[in-house]
Amino acid sequence: MTAAVEAAEAPESPIEVRPGLIRSKVLRQPQTIAGLTVLALFVLVAALSPVLAQDPKAQVGPVFQAPSGGHPLGTDGGGADMTSLLIAGTRVSLMVGFAAAVVSALIGGSIGLASGFFGGKIDTILMRFTDYVIVIPDVPLMIVAAALFGRSLTNIILIIGVIYWTTTARLVRAQVKSVRERVYVKRARALGAGNARLIGKHVLPQVAPLLIANTVLLVAYAIFAETFITFLGLGDPSLISWGRLIENAFTDDALLNDAWWAIVPPGVCVAIVVLGCTMVGQSMEDALNPRLSVGHLSVRRFGLRPVPRREA
Amino acid sequence: MTGLDYVAKRVAFACATVLAAVTLNFVLFRAIPGDAVQALRCQHCTVQFKNALRKELGLDKSKWEQYKRYLVDLAHGDLGSSVRSQQPVWDELWPSIKNTMPMLALGYLFAIFFGTIIGVIAAWRRGTFVEKAGLWSGLGFYSMPPQWLGLMIVLFVAGAVGLPTSGIKDPTLGILGDASTLDILVDRIRHIILPALTIGLVLYGEYALIVRSAMLETLGEDYVLTARAKGLSSWATVWKHGFRNALLPVVTLGALSLGYIIGGFITVEYVFSYPGIGLAIVEAIDQRDFPLLQGAFLLLAVSVIVFNLLADLLYFKLDPRVTT
Amino acid sequence: MLAVSDLHVWFELPGGRELHAVRGIDFSVAAGERFGLVGESGCGKTTAILALMGLLPPNASVAGQVLLDGENVLARGEESAAPHRWREIAMVFQGAMNAFNPVRTIGDQIVEPMELHDIAEGRAALRRARELLEIVGIPGDRVSRYPHEFSGGMRQRAAIAMALACTPKVLLADEPTTALDVMVQAQILELLTSLTNDFGLALVLVTHDLPVVAQVCERAAVMYAGRVAELGSVDRLFHDPRHPYTRLLFAATPDLYGDEAVASIPGAPPRLDRALAGCPFAPRCDRAFSPCPTVTPRLLEVEPGHIAACHLNDPAVMAAS
Repeated sequence: MTAAVEAAEAPESPIEVRPGLIRSKVLRQPQTIAGLTVLALFVLVAALSPVLAQDPKAQVGPVFQAPSGGHPLGTDGGGADMTSLLIAGTRVSLMVGFAAAVVSALIGGSIGLASGFFGGKIDTILMRFTDYVIVIPDVPLMIVAAALFGRSLTNIILIIGVIYWTTTARLVRAQVKSVRERVYVKRARALGAGNARLIGKHVLPQVAPLLIANTVLLVAYAIFAETFITFLGLGDPSLISWGRLIENAFTDDALLNDAWWAIVPPGVCVAIVVLGCTMVGQSMEDALNPRLSVGHLSVRRFGLRPVPRREA
Repeated sequence: MTGLDYVAKRVAFACATVLAAVTLNFVLFRAIPGDAVQALRCQHCTVQFKNALRKELGLDKSKWEQYKRYLVDLAHGDLGSSVRSQQPVWDELWPSIKNTMPMLALGYLFAIFFGTIIGVIAAWRRGTFVEKAGLWSGLGFYSMPPQWLGLMIVLFVAGAVGLPTSGIKDPTLGILGDASTLDILVDRIRHIILPALTIGLVLYGEYALIVRSAMLETLGEDYVLTARAKGLSSWATVWKHGFRNALLPVVTLGALSLGYIIGGFITVEYVFSYPGIGLAIVEAIDQRDFPLLQGAFLLLAVSVIVFNLLADLLYFKLDPRVTT
Repeated sequence: MLAVSDLHVWFELPGGRELHAVRGIDFSVAAGERFGLVGESGCGKTTAILALMGLLPPNASVAGQVLLDGENVLARGEESAAPHRWREIAMVFQGAMNAFNPVRTIGDQIVEPMELHDIAEGRAALRRARELLEIVGIPGDRVSRYPHEFSGGMRQRAAIAMALACTPKVLLADEPTTALDVMVQAQILELLTSLTNDFGLALVLVTHDLPVVAQVCERAAVMYAGRVAELGSVDRLFHDPRHPYTRLLFAATPDLYGDEAVASIPGAPPRLDRALAGCPFAPRCDRAFSPCPTVTPRLLEVEPGHIAACHLNDPAVMAAS
């Protein structure tokens, strides 16, 4: 493990998760609320997309027609309505994002759990393995895997999932290690609780919130990764996703046609969702891994007041 | 652990990782259903040709034999031959690498320079508008897909500033008259700017966020309060105590970000038709030229490993605590 | 040398509330004198001494006077506090382990204030740094080492050396012995004692640990809920405490020699984000009586140099009830 990387990624002081912690510390933050609202909106659109966008690929107008009354976002290179395409794309993009993130979380979580809980040789082997995987550049690997194994949706989800689990593994491992050292776990073990019970009842509840926070951030990565794959022509040809829309715009020469409406919206959607995930995930991680919030330097100075009258 | 021990350990680890990457490379490409030659699409690829090629590439032998041969070849610097052009992979890729490096370097410089400045200022001026601007600009660029950002730049910026958006050279240069070295240099630079800017903006986002975060944390440390107590001005404290310490995670990021930006520059080169290693990869995918892909993949993996090693050694130099 | 008069510190809290952490304290320390500031955690003692140097965060406000050799350090806030830092008044922080920047040498950090305040520079400064280390009992050649190469006790000493770099008149020490083992604690306290004697420093020692105060200080103030509960010579505080809190505090200290049961004071200090009615200690006091919950006790002089804020010392109140 590179010392530099280890130092940068180690959680400062993993705190004990108590019920109500999420509600009090995380949900109160404006950035969490904003992020969650945005994400909820997109999920809603995705869920309703079969209704909102009946036949998105149908040609409904001339190629690259500018936005107008009937088509608020104009048409794409095939004459299809951009708005419908965008709505349909929401579903696939989000699905790939969530599914791949879950796969990553499962792999990373299991490895981190095993590594942190059992320690010793298992830990060394798993962490060595993780070190090797981390260094492999992600997108070229995805490109190669997609080129080799085919372009189905499942493949894409699996490929993304299999590459991005490393940060999760490290995070989970650190958390599990610190939980393992806590008094109540030692006590439970002394009382004869088996591993399964220890993990299930004591370790997992403490690790779960951090895992969830990390998974949210992974969703952002996964959506990003999907755009890379589809942009290079390796995505599932039958599906519409935001990445695909960007690719279409490029290969259909939207640039030559100055058709900004075909280019701008899908990227904006990706950016907004990624931002939303980042805000939510980050604020969760901040709450669970508090870093010093005190600052000793500030532009503003402390204030001066007149002496109050003595309390009688 | 002495300094030398540490260096040796890190180098050994890097070598082991290279070996792992090589093996992975091998395994991945041999796992294709059918083999590399079968999937080849080109004009002169008849069945006989393919069979002869197969024999020549040693694809008719056992996997273990092939692996050993692969390692031996690598040791001789032989990355195989492109099935499309029959040229050695290295010869095919080297010009592309020469094109990508300055572009990436420029992008990195941009990102590190602006990202660090904005990150430091944002942390120092915590709670003010400046901080918000820094934070949101960082978050914003960090969330944009690089290829999309490239398209946006082509759409909105290129025309306005009159910079070319494809290739690396103006095809008309040197035809109507002799082109001086300066002309050529200027031409190259003009072609590099936009792709480099795209990469730079994407990386800037990450740098600004991480530097700000590192500085914020450093500014909360006790020794910063001590510095203030000693009478150091706000600026002197940031510079002498905050910056050097916050550099440590930034160095780490430098290494990690190469892995992060690879996906970025491949797609950006595609958008700008910039003949670098990214575009070579895209073309190789298209033509199913697996040896070329394999070679490129290995080169990228090794670059990342080397970068990580450099980052480790730099970190060791910066942080006296590492050797204990 | 140092005279604190009616010092208040408030902190703005998120949600618009305010924490009144220091509620009008007064004390003075003469040159060469060792003064203790004692209390449980949260009583405001650390905040008070940070205020003496003006080292407060932007959400803090301050009132009162801090006279350093006659000059009010808090007259114009940061502007008037900053010039005195380290030159006249220096501090050894709690947990000196972290007071040093890990990526710079100890010598570097001791030299820093010297060069900043034009006391010395370059080689001369380094030489002086070596001397300072020797004074605190660290071999001078350690000046080029990094903080992580020192043990906790040595780092604490180095922090003291650093505090002396500009020959201040007042030295503030915030829990200088916490997290150190007993042997090292004793050495540090001895060091502080000899320094005040040799250099005529005024020492303000902040601690929750009574034996420390008993060993080092001549006079002390006991703080509770942001106020001074009792102030006097350590000898009198121990033998004749005039505030129940002081008495209970001394009783709660484990006695190595006797077999008395360790008594801890039940209950917890009051919250400081709201106004306090009556005596803040009343809920936990074993001698509270009718006026205590509603009437705030005044600081009364019970004998020369010994004041306490308790109704039990007030003949008028005692007569009325």
